[in-house]
Amino acid sequence: MQGVARGAVGLGEKVTAAIIASVAALRDQITEAAASGTTLRISGRGTWLDAGRRVDAAETLSTRELSGISGYVPADLTLTALAGTTLAEIREATRVNGQWLALDPAGSDDGTIGATVATASAGPLRTMFGSPRDLTLGLEFITGEGTVARGGGRVVKNVAGFDITRLLTGSWGTLGVITEVTLRLHARPEADETVAIALADTAHVGRVRQVLRNAPFTPYACEILNASLAKIVTGASGATALFRLGGNVEAVAAQRSALAELGELVDVEVAAWNRFRVAEPPGAIVFRLSDLPAELEGTWNEAGSIARACPGTLIHASPSRGVVRVIVPVTGDAIAFLRMSFPRNAPVKRIGERLPGQLWPVIAPAPTADRISKGIKSAFDVHNILNPGILGEA
Amino acid sequence: MATAVIPQIDQSLANRLAEIVGEKRVLFRPSELLAYASDALPSYNKRPGLAVFPGTRDELIAVITELAKDKIPFVPRGSGTGLSGGALADNVVLIGLNRLSRVLSIDPENLFAVVEPGVVNVALTRAVTAYGLHYAPDPSSQAACSIGGNVAENAGGPHCLKYGTTTNHIIALTVLLPDGSVVKLGGTDGEQEGYDLVGAFVGSEGCFGIALDITVRLSRNPQLVRTLLADFMTLDSAARAVTSIVATGIISAALEMIDQATIVAVESSIYAAGYPTDAAAALLIELDGASAGLERDVATVEALCKEHGARTVRIARDDTERTRLWQGRKKAFGAMGRVSSHLVVQDAVVPRTKLPEVLAEIHRIGERNRIQICNVFHAGDGNLHPNIPYSASDLDAVERVHTGCREIMELCVRVGGTITGEHGVGFDKIQYMDLIFSPDSLATMCRLREVFDPDRRSNPGKVIPVHSCKEWHAAPSAWAKR
Repeated sequence: MQGVARGAVGLGEKVTAAIIASVAALRDQITEAAASGTTLRISGRGTWLDAGRRVDAAETLSTRELSGISGYVPADLTLTALAGTTLAEIREATRVNGQWLALDPAGSDDGTIGATVATASAGPLRTMFGSPRDLTLGLEFITGEGTVARGGGRVVKNVAGFDITRLLTGSWGTLGVITEVTLRLHARPEADETVAIALADTAHVGRVRQVLRNAPFTPYACEILNASLAKIVTGASGATALFRLGGNVEAVAAQRSALAELGELVDVEVAAWNRFRVAEPPGAIVFRLSDLPAELEGTWNEAGSIARACPGTLIHASPSRGVVRVIVPVTGDAIAFLRMSFPRNAPVKRIGERLPGQLWPVIAPAPTADRISKGIKSAFDVHNILNPGILGEA
Repeated sequence: MATAVIPQIDQSLANRLAEIVGEKRVLFRPSELLAYASDALPSYNKRPGLAVFPGTRDELIAVITELAKDKIPFVPRGSGTGLSGGALADNVVLIGLNRLSRVLSIDPENLFAVVEPGVVNVALTRAVTAYGLHYAPDPSSQAACSIGGNVAENAGGPHCLKYGTTTNHIIALTVLLPDGSVVKLGGTDGEQEGYDLVGAFVGSEGCFGIALDITVRLSRNPQLVRTLLADFMTLDSAARAVTSIVATGIISAALEMIDQATIVAVESSIYAAGYPTDAAAALLIELDGASAGLERDVATVEALCKEHGARTVRIARDDTERTRLWQGRKKAFGAMGRVSSHLVVQDAVVPRTKLPEVLAEIHRIGERNRIQICNVFHAGDGNLHPNIPYSASDLDAVERVHTGCREIMELCVRVGGTITGEHGVGFDKIQYMDLIFSPDSLATMCRLREVFDPDRRSNPGKVIPVHSCKEWHAAPSAWAKR
C-alpha cells in the first residue's frame, strides 16, 4: 500500500478494493478481540508509544499497513488519507501543489496521520492553524465492538449529525481505531520567514505575549525557548523568542517591523523548526503547564524553578495559549524532585505527556473520570479493550 | 416523530411550572401556543403542549428537574430563527431560553466572555466592542438569533470562511442535563485534556441538554477591511472565479455569491444595495486583517475576478458603502419575502471545485420541477443556500418544492458533499441522513446522545432517524448486556 499515486485525484478501483479489505481485516481483529475480551494497544508506526499513561494490553494492533492517500483534489484544499499514512507522505504529496497540512507535532514526520489525529498532537503552527480538532473534517473508525462508523465528511463545512469527529480526535484510541481521515489543507504562503529575538528576563517573556495580544496579526508560530533549548534550535546562548511569520511579502515585512519593539531580529532558517521538533532526548520526562495566557510569566517562572532543580531541562512556551512545555532528562534526582513538587492541588494545571510510572499518580487526576466521559467510553468501547488506561482509569 | 398525546402535560404540570417561573411565564392555552408552532422554516407546524420561559438559571434547573420526575420530553428554544425545524415542539414542553440573556463576564486580556444562552449574537459583539473585540460567527439572523441556539446548531455565517464556525469559538460550557444535573465541559485555563466534550456538545441540536452558560472566544477586530463586489455575466464564470481565489491561499474573510434572481429581489426591496440587476451573478468578497499587505491581496483578487470575466469590480470606499453591500446580502432572505408568501432556505455543501457543475444542475432541477431557485450562499466554502419561494396554499407547488429539495440534496451528496453546512439537521433533514451515514454510523451517534440523555427526552425526534436507534437496540450486540 505504500507510495500509492501521490497527488492523484482519487484512486483506482483496484486500490480501493485493497483498502476496504484492510479495514475489514482490522474490523475482524477488533470484533474477535471484543468477543474474547482481549485488550489491544493501538499503534501507528510506534514512534511515540511511550507517551500517555501505561497501557496494559495483551496485543498490539497497528494501522501502519493501512496507508495511502485515497483522495486529494488540490483546488478543494482537502485530502483524505488512510490512518497509516505518514506525515512525510502527506507533506510530499501536498508540497508539489504549493500546499501543506499545517501540523508540526513533536517528533519527526515519520509518525502517522492516524496517531496524530488520535492524540490531537499539534506543534508551534497551532498558533495560526489550530490543532487536529480544527483541521480534521471527517473520519472513519472502528469501535471497540468492531463497528465501522464515520463522523463528519469530506467538505470544509458540515453540521450533519453529532460531531463524532471532534470526539474521536484526541481520544487516544480509547473510543475507536481511526482508519481514515479527511483533512483541511492550506496553501503555502508567499513568504515564510523565521526570526529570533533574544530575551533578557521573565518580564521580557510577558512582553512578547502582550505585544502579540495587541498586534494586528497572528504569527504562524511563536515559541519562547529557554537557554538550553535555544542552544539546540538556533545556537543562541540565552532565552529566545522564535517567530514564524507567513503571508505575502509586504505583510511579513510589516510583522517584522512590529516585532522589532521587542528587540533585535535575527534571521533563522526555517529548518530550525525541525530541530525544535526533535530536540527532546529519547525517553525524557515531558509534561505541560497550562494557565490563562495573561498568567504566562508566572507559568514560565514555575517551569524555570523545575529547570533550576533538574539540569538540562528544556522549556518552551506558547504565548497565545498560555501553555508551557517542560522536558526533563530522566535521572533519579529529577524523578524524586518532580514527585515532591507535583502537588495535587497546584495552582497551575499540569498535563502529562510522557512520564515514568511513578509520576502519573501525582501529576493530575484522570481526565476521563467524569460521568460523561465514562459514559462515552462505555458506549464506544463497552469491553474496555482499546488502549485501556492510557487516559487514566475510566 | 410521535404525535401521541403525552398525558403528563396537563393543567397540573402547568401549575407546578407556574410555581417556579410565575404564572405569566407558562403558556398552556392552544391559542397562546400557536406563535411557537414553527421556527424560521415555514414548512412545518407543530404546536407545543406547553411553553415555559424561565428567567434565571435556577428557575431553568428547577423546571428541567420537575420535567425529569415524570420523564416529560422537552424542546429547548432560543430565538426561533432556526431553519431546520430544530425547535419544533410537537405536543411536548417548549423551554424558551430568551430571558436568560445576561453577559456574565468579559475577559478582554484573555479574549473570552461568559454568557447565558439567550444572549443575542449581535448583542454579544456590541458588549465587547469597547475592547476592540467581536464575536466572529455571524449568521444572517445575527440580529435576532441567540448564542445558545448558535451552539446547538454549530451556526456559521459569511465570515466563518476565515474564522471558523461556532465550534471554533466555544471554550467551555456549563450544561444542564435532561435529568436535572449540571456538568462542566471544557475550561478557560489553556489546554484541556481528555475527550473534547465541548466539541461533542456544540452542534448537538438540543439533543444533549441545555447550556446554562457558554464561554466564547472573542476575536480582535481587524485593522483593515476591504469589501469588493464583482459582477459576472454567467453563473459559471463567477463559480470559477471562486475556485481560483480559494486556490491562491488568500483566505477571504467572506466570499459570497448572489445570483440574478436574488439580486433582482434585493434591488426591488428596501434593502437595495446597488447590485447590478442585469448580472447573472455577483461575488461579495471581503478581505481583512493587518493593513500591511492587504491591498496586494485585494489587487490579486480583483485581477482573478477580471480574468474570469468579471464585468466590473467595485471596492467599497467607506464603511457606509460596505454596510450597504452587506445589507443586501444579509437581508436577501427577507427581500425574497416579496417574491412569494413562503420561502425555503436550503442548506448543503459541495466541494468547491464542483460549484460550477452543481449550480448548473440546480438550475435544471428548478426548470424540471417548475420552481424558482434563487442562490445566495457562502461560495468560499462551497456552502450552498438554494432558496425556493412558493405559496403554501398551492399544494401542487408544495409537492414540487419538496421534490426539488430532495433532488438538490441527492445531487450534493453525489458529488461528495453534505446535506447541511450550518442550519443543522433538525426535523427537516432527518429524511436525508441515510444518504450520508450508514446505519452503524447513525447508531453510534445515537449512543453518544444517550450518554447525555438516556431517555432521548431532550428535543425528541430530531437529527437521528428514530429507526436507527431502534435498530441499534434490536441488534444482538454486547450493548444489550450492559
